[in-house]
Amino acid sequence: MEAAFPQLCILGASAVLLAAIIPLWRRHVPAYIVAFQWQSFALAFVTALVGYMAHIRELYIVAALIVAIRGMLFVRLLRKLQARVGEITELKPLVNIPTSLLIAATLVVIAYAATRPAVLVASSPTRGAMPLAIAVILVSMFTVASRKTAIGQVIGFLMLENGIALLSAVASYGVPLTVELGLFLDALLGFLVMQILVFHIHDAFDTTDVEQLSRLKH
Amino acid sequence: MVVTAFLHGLVALLVAPALVGLIRWVKARLQSRRGAAPWQPYRELAKLLRKERVVSQHASWVFRVTPYILFGTTLVVSCLIPTVLAPTGVQVFGDLIAVVYLLILGTFWLALAGLDPGSAFGGMGSSREMTVAALTEPTMAIAIFALALPAGSTDLGQIVRRTLEMPTSALGPGHVLAFAALFIVTLAESGRLPVDNPSTHLELTMIHEAMVLEYSGPYLALVEWASALKLFVFCVLLANLFVPWGVALSANPTAIVVGIAAVLLKVAVIAVALAVFETRVAKLRLFRVPELLSASFVLSVVAVVSAFLGR
Repeated sequence: MEAAFPQLCILGASAVLLAAIIPLWRRHVPAYIVAFQWQSFALAFVTALVGYMAHIRELYIVAALIVAIRGMLFVRLLRKLQARVGEITELKPLVNIPTSLLIAATLVVIAYAATRPAVLVASSPTRGAMPLAIAVILVSMFTVASRKTAIGQVIGFLMLENGIALLSAVASYGVPLTVELGLFLDALLGFLVMQILVFHIHDAFDTTDVEQLSRLKH
Repeated sequence: MVVTAFLHGLVALLVAPALVGLIRWVKARLQSRRGAAPWQPYRELAKLLRKERVVSQHASWVFRVTPYILFGTTLVVSCLIPTVLAPTGVQVFGDLIAVVYLLILGTFWLALAGLDPGSAFGGMGSSREMTVAALTEPTMAIAIFALALPAGSTDLGQIVRRTLEMPTSALGPGHVLAFAALFIVTLAESGRLPVDNPSTHLELTMIHEAMVLEYSGPYLALVEWASALKLFVFCVLLANLFVPWGVALSANPTAIVVGIAAVLLKVAVIAVALAVFETRVAKLRLFRVPELLSASFVLSVVAVVSAFLGR
């Protein structure tokens, strides 16, 4: 059973990465939200698993918070935002879908190559998931950079936060609970600010296509 | 060893039409139709084999020889893969590269035969099939390489034995991602939804059916049987490479019986899963098929990278 833990942990991290890739593949905004929800659940699974493996009680609380705040609250807020903005499909992204998928694959390879030295010196059983966490961060950053609608970018940003939380869980068995709570608050505030911005953009331009913002210059 | 290959070929030949029939039957039930019994494809094959062959006067020898090549290569592939037995110490057959190349050889000839009689549909089907095949073949090879790397061998039997020795490796990212990639490849290669609809002859959407539109009688029987074999091969690869429990490691009679029962059960589970999946999804527009296939390519690349660098 002990031997299965690192594998299960890597499996959960792979699920987080898969969910991060879905926004690059689908055009349907509700599918992005579902992907984010599943990503949060997978993240909570990995966190709880690390907590069980390293006997850290606090990580259970963190996992429960992830499910409650990221998996439920954020998803509800996102659904509301999407219902109000009313955009079902992502506009033509800046990079077409096959190319962005190939770029995502390259980013994963880069993440593996970049974390190789750290993985070699690390001795924790969860070290195998570190490259995947870095890959989630890189792929989400690419999502933010290549989507045109604000809602797609918001989801990319939230996935980026998930990637950072995953990295902290697998690389250092989480951070102290106060810091973790601060991170939650940070993400929540960031999200609320972005939500207000999205509403304003939508009210002013009737779309959340961020390219329209360049009209402000004139 | 020859006996093993013969056994695998025989199981595949006999079971493959029932697999197609089972998928059709489950789909019919899910759509609230009564549906033909799962053994209907055997009746169809028997009937087609008795009919005369009608060949276009513009068709050349390529058209006549293709059904035999297609059937032959697919049958050889089904002999090579570890369906029931993966005996230790036998390295001669069951190589991954041979399997991939034999499958693409059959596809190549079928595409030629689609072009040969000069019908518009055949050419359209061939060009589509090549578009799909160009994306699925490398994905399939890379997905199985993700399993071959930890096993240290491209021998399929060795891959099966290695997973049986280290059961936890079946949970690794290499395995899971490669399974997802190979599942999408299975859908595309065997002409199932959402890539191709196997149950229509609607000219705008068909891929495989467009290529074989000109075939009739025994030729059509061979082509249909070969595509059933191909579906069976992919289902066995999905079942035995990723969930190898039940595969016989030695050639004693009880192990073989258990092996046959296990593979039939696993393939039936995959067939039902395929049918449910096909009922739930709509066909993709042809221009969106490369997006799906590049997603599966990315999955297989991530699988092979994590198998190679994540050790």
